[in-house]
Amino acid sequence: MKFIRVNMSNKTIKVDDVPEKYEGLGGRSLTSTIVNEEVPPKCDPLGPENKLIFAPGTLSGTTMINTSRISVGSKSPLTGGIKESNAGGTIGAAVAKLGIAAIVIEGKAPEGEFHLLQIDIDGNVALSPAEEYKGMRTYKTVEGLLEKYGKKNSVMCIGPAGEFLLKSSSIQASDVDGRPCRAAGRGGLGAVMGSKGLKALVVAQGGKEKAPVADPERFKKAVKEIIDAIKEDPFSGQVMPNLGTAALVAPVNSMGGFPTYNGRQGVLEGWEKISGEAIAEIIKKRGGNTTHMGCSQCIIHCSNEYVDEKGKYVTSSLEYETIWAIGGMSGVVDIDTIAQFDFMCDDIGLDTMNTGVAIAVAMDSGYREFGDKKAVIEMTEEIAQGTEFGRILGNGPASVGKHFNNPRVPVVKNQSIAAYDPRALQGNGVTYATTPMGADHTAANLVGAYIGQQLDPLSPEGQVEASRNLQYTMAVADATGMCMMAALSLLSPEASEAFRSAISAKTGKEIKPEDFPSAMGIQIIKTEKEFNRKAGLTNKDDRLPDMFTKEPLPPHNTVFKISDEELDLTFNF
Amino acid sequence: MKVNVKVYGTLRDKFPDYIDSTGIEIELPEGATVHDLLSNLKISESQGAVVTMDYRILKNDFSIPKNAEVQVLQTVHSG
Repeated sequence: MKFIRVNMSNKTIKVDDVPEKYEGLGGRSLTSTIVNEEVPPKCDPLGPENKLIFAPGTLSGTTMINTSRISVGSKSPLTGGIKESNAGGTIGAAVAKLGIAAIVIEGKAPEGEFHLLQIDIDGNVALSPAEEYKGMRTYKTVEGLLEKYGKKNSVMCIGPAGEFLLKSSSIQASDVDGRPCRAAGRGGLGAVMGSKGLKALVVAQGGKEKAPVADPERFKKAVKEIIDAIKEDPFSGQVMPNLGTAALVAPVNSMGGFPTYNGRQGVLEGWEKISGEAIAEIIKKRGGNTTHMGCSQCIIHCSNEYVDEKGKYVTSSLEYETIWAIGGMSGVVDIDTIAQFDFMCDDIGLDTMNTGVAIAVAMDSGYREFGDKKAVIEMTEEIAQGTEFGRILGNGPASVGKHFNNPRVPVVKNQSIAAYDPRALQGNGVTYATTPMGADHTAANLVGAYIGQQLDPLSPEGQVEASRNLQYTMAVADATGMCMMAALSLLSPEASEAFRSAISAKTGKEIKPEDFPSAMGIQIIKTEKEFNRKAGLTNKDDRLPDMFTKEPLPPHNTVFKISDEELDLTFNF
Repeated sequence: MKVNVKVYGTLRDKFPDYIDSTGIEIELPEGATVHDLLSNLKISESQGAVVTMDYRILKNDFSIPKNAEVQVLQTVHSG
């Protein structure tokens, strides 16, 4: 496999074999190892010493379904610690099929200068000026790039938010239809890309260099078992293809854990109007698509295409976390406004969660009323325009809280929580607090364990252990390029064994059953925590804000009950 | 006894005349459990079905009170 280093300071490109110390790693395990090895922990995240790494998973580029994810790693300007944020779409498979294990962006172009990095079907790598795309939003950027280089290319790019170096900026990835509606959304990695002077990465699809598989027969068997497991699971086989992630609106409100009005209550009045069921009805009535394939090799099709009253495309995919950030946190019970916000965030290159929660904090501070539809759109547009307030907003909830002197800021390590209130889903609070990534539900979302009655969401009992174990599993999934929706359907002993078998067959190195997934997961998280320690983060950063430990959340009127000592036991290494 | 049931997820497909605002009203014997409710609705637990009431997930042997309003949901893992 090839290892590409691109130096943006002197515009040099080096293509080598993967260094021995990184062999066998992929996705999050590779990006986090490179960051820990090569990035000075106390460096300025937007300076030349930081690096931005793109790495497909170890299973990406193979015949394994649902593995077209690419990890993007760096030191985060938002959290000040290590960051891995991964995106779907088509680029993960495209990079892996060209036999590329990682693309490492180093140095920094002179301020105001932007470039494109293109990798063609023969694996040639070239940098070229991107003056014509400077300041451009992502839909127009991708449209222009696909017109210039051909539709059989995958694109990752930044929008104005990344160019403004804002801490909520995302890196957008093109989907199967060539739209930049998939995102490595979290941690402000768009700002790192912007600081390097890299506007876009364009990669040819359909590479002939197949990702090598050590034991093809065993791998083929494991692929089949995994397909069967995903199809048989009602979550991935029925609910996701029909309702997408919006299906979570009903259960999380029914559990009293849907953070509403900046976390002042756990149920949104009128949530039924923005539920997955309601959205599916609207989409069907208007002629959109309730099920849609967004990523290469996907068999789940959790995506949708939301359209307006005239049947015109608005956005894809309208996801649960975005619905919550505006619907719940900002109190806007209007799905058309939420869809417009979603499109704007993708187009400007913004994390919908960090941005929606920043708007909610501004509303909580009295800047606008909760539920003000017009304000949501106007405030989001201010970010794209780069106004003074737009920049405060685009730097996320902590920045807005500081501006208004409002301590009610639902973040950990400056990154917003997701759509699960830790006072009603206690284990998700453990995850927010202890993952090295800052509040990140994808690190270990226990909502399925609660609904499946494996754990009481309101009791502190067993939450630390449950979060820890799932964090190991998810770290492994992130290393393989397996999407979260598929990975969460592989938790049964049989499916987990198929997943272990697939990884062993791919690499040719047998993973012992007793080591899977914990030993692999521990190694990844240990590396990430080591970087965070060196960067100056301590266990005091592994805490939820006071609003969760002191303000009871209706309707259960509970607070987050896990003690600091227990949180510190999550990863006592 | 009467129980009002709201149904979510793909389970709604079982009830073609389902109206979101009113749900379904069913008649159950007094002391009926969550298991009895799901059997009455012909919803199999293998479809990942769970029942909530008053913002709590109910165990299968929980006796549903009369005139209760319950929600039948499917297991979901993440968004």
